[in-house]
Amino acid sequence: MNFSLLDFLESIFFEFRYAPLIIQVAIIFVFVAVTLTLLAYFSILRRRFRGSQRDKKITRLNELIDDLLIENVLSQDPETVETPGQTAETAAEAFHLPQFSKRWGRQVLIDRLLNYRNNVRGAMGDEIRTLYLLLELDKDSFKKLKSRKWNRKVRALNELSSMEIGVADVIILPLTNSRNRELRAAARHAYIKLSKNEPFKFFDLATEPLLLWDQVELFRIITTTRHIAIPNFAQWITYSSNKSVISFCLKLVVHYNQLKAIPAVLKLLDTKDHLLRAEAINCLGKMKIADVEDKLVYIYNNQPLNCQIEILKALGRIGSGKHTEFLRQEFMLSTDFELRKHAAKSLTNTEPPGSELIGELMETSTPENQLILKHCMNPLIKF
Amino acid sequence: MSKILLIEDDEVMSTIVKRILQKAAYQVDHVRNGKEAFEILEKTGFGFDLIITDIMMPYANGFEILSRVRNLPGGRKLPVILLSNAGVDDMINEGLKLGADDFLKKPVLPAELLMRIRRLLNEEAT
Repeated sequence: MNFSLLDFLESIFFEFRYAPLIIQVAIIFVFVAVTLTLLAYFSILRRRFRGSQRDKKITRLNELIDDLLIENVLSQDPETVETPGQTAETAAEAFHLPQFSKRWGRQVLIDRLLNYRNNVRGAMGDEIRTLYLLLELDKDSFKKLKSRKWNRKVRALNELSSMEIGVADVIILPLTNSRNRELRAAARHAYIKLSKNEPFKFFDLATEPLLLWDQVELFRIITTTRHIAIPNFAQWITYSSNKSVISFCLKLVVHYNQLKAIPAVLKLLDTKDHLLRAEAINCLGKMKIADVEDKLVYIYNNQPLNCQIEILKALGRIGSGKHTEFLRQEFMLSTDFELRKHAAKSLTNTEPPGSELIGELMETSTPENQLILKHCMNPLIKF
Repeated sequence: MSKILLIEDDEVMSTIVKRILQKAAYQVDHVRNGKEAFEILEKTGFGFDLIITDIMMPYANGFEILSRVRNLPGGRKLPVILLSNAGVDDMINEGLKLGADDFLKKPVLPAELLMRIRRLLNEEAT
């Protein structure tokens, strides 16, 4: 039987042409679906193949960079070199290779140098920075900073801040208030690291909130960056219209034990925002400002629950024993479990009069209150 | 020549430390995790003069390595230096409690690293 491909296609075409409409639609649908699936698989395969090729190229280039760095920077002892930067100058010549003339090659080199810079400090770290400058990789970073894509900007900011390359305020300050969260955070981190005189200037402009995670990151950077100029945080506590900035400043006041900011914190006790008020009370308690105890007790009854809890905690932290009777009353008479718990904890933290009182309370309290006291006296339990 | 075991999973960090130590005429063996560390320790019968270990690592962290080394007869007096990121003061206390001899924060200062090693090995600076 003579059956060619043409005949086969022709028969399929006639089958399709004279088939009912619903079958025709179904056949077209199946054909399109199969074609798209095949295209998708092909595209995934192609992307993976190119990815693996790129990874191999990067690995090979990283090995080359490692060899060059070991040979020209790590093998030298920068501590003994007379002129700073001499090692980097010699190394820069070795890096004049065709691989580093392409953009991707230069990016791999930047990433590798950053990695080395983040792992070593002292003279050797400075040599790596000088090498970055001598190879004019900072120009690549600045080019990225001008890009329209936020992820490239973030990358550039990380590179420049890690290499401690100054960026003009007019470029970086607007980014600290960007609507993009990642870019905003990266710009703020970079600004703190790079600004020598006023690392917290962006607080003046911040209208976007400092999210809790941003605060954690900022706190880490502030506390680990060396030679950072610490301003008086009272200026933002008093004048900032951004509540998250005030809240963060209160935490910094505690961290730096900044007593000169206390008058500004005290003014916050009169603010209408109960969350900020609670944070101000928390700050005063942690700073152990004994003078504020009377005022805290005075305003206690007019406060919402979170502020009342902070007042009880603050009295315990200050621990002067002046308001033991107040704490006892709260522990005995309050109907709220949280208040009784914190009053008990603060009683256990006070000076000897409180300790004597605890013995008495253990004998006279209800079983539930005794349980609370026992719980609070356990030194392993902190709240 | 003193022999040092470096336990570090970060490629760049291990390259740097290895190079600094080799430059200072130490013989360095490098492994990437706790599992490999115990294999080499067993194989060599604790044939090292000092261990430098990172804290955050896969399989077994630096603390686990330290406590296992300290519980083995050959490892009780073996000097151990812990290596970890900055801002981990609690870790320093934890490490010293477990019997670490010293603690180094990353990024490392080459001169400081060598000074601490020499002190633990009772060597004089050259």
